[in-house]
Amino acid sequence: MTEPAYPRSRHDHESDADELRALESAMESTPRGAALVSAIAVGLLLLCWLAIYFGVFLPRGTVG
Amino acid sequence: MAINESAILKSELRWTLVVAGIVAVILGAILFAALSMHINPPSNREYVDPKTIHLSSEFTEANLGTQVDQNGRVIARMITTQFQFIPNCIVLPAETDVTLRFTSPDVIHGLLVTGTNVNTMVVPGYVAQVHTRFTKTGDLLMPCHEYCGLGHSQMVATVKVVPRDQFRPDAQGRASCGDRR
Repeated sequence: MTEPAYPRSRHDHESDADELRALESAMESTPRGAALVSAIAVGLLLLCWLAIYFGVFLPRGTVG
Repeated sequence: MAINESAILKSELRWTLVVAGIVAVILGAILFAALSMHINPPSNREYVDPKTIHLSSEFTEANLGTQVDQNGRVIARMITTQFQFIPNCIVLPAETDVTLRFTSPDVIHGLLVTGTNVNTMVVPGYVAQVHTRFTKTGDLLMPCHEYCGLGHSQMVATVKVVPRDQFRPDAQGRASCGDRR
């Protein structure tokens, strides 16, 4: 009979608790990271829109 | 920032404010262009009978091309048809308000003038009208940009923009590409 890949033991329980703490700690900062990535992405998109609008569209002149 | 309902709500509200701010910036830029620079989407609802445009409307052959009317307005009329613009070239003065009018007797066409914001569809039964002001002189290409059939890729015209002092319409107020003196 082969041993299970992740045998349950007292030692493993301690390790689980550590992992849980590490996970909680990571999940505390993850939203900040996600917000930063979103802000950079949306900011770049807006900058590109403004650059094309003021740099390309408006100089092409009046129309209506 | 702990993961709980209150934090998620706060984060969503913050993003709502950011998105509202972005929409406000974009709308502000569009309003700025519309009010201070008169840049608007061309819109004109004017009907014409596509079956008789060559006989009875303003788009008869004699009226096509560039014309300066009695009020000094510069108007260019063109017919877009499979697979050419009639006339194939128009001459217009730079730094002058001009009106471009187009119609089609057959299928839907579209056009743009390269390097400018002139861009419109030309739908049979309607007159497409664009007011603009060219700031640079030169020969500008005006291709059909709406697939109109097998010869679509060959459908291209030229807009010759000349300095205002070189724009010399004849006694009838007409100017054509061959008249550049």
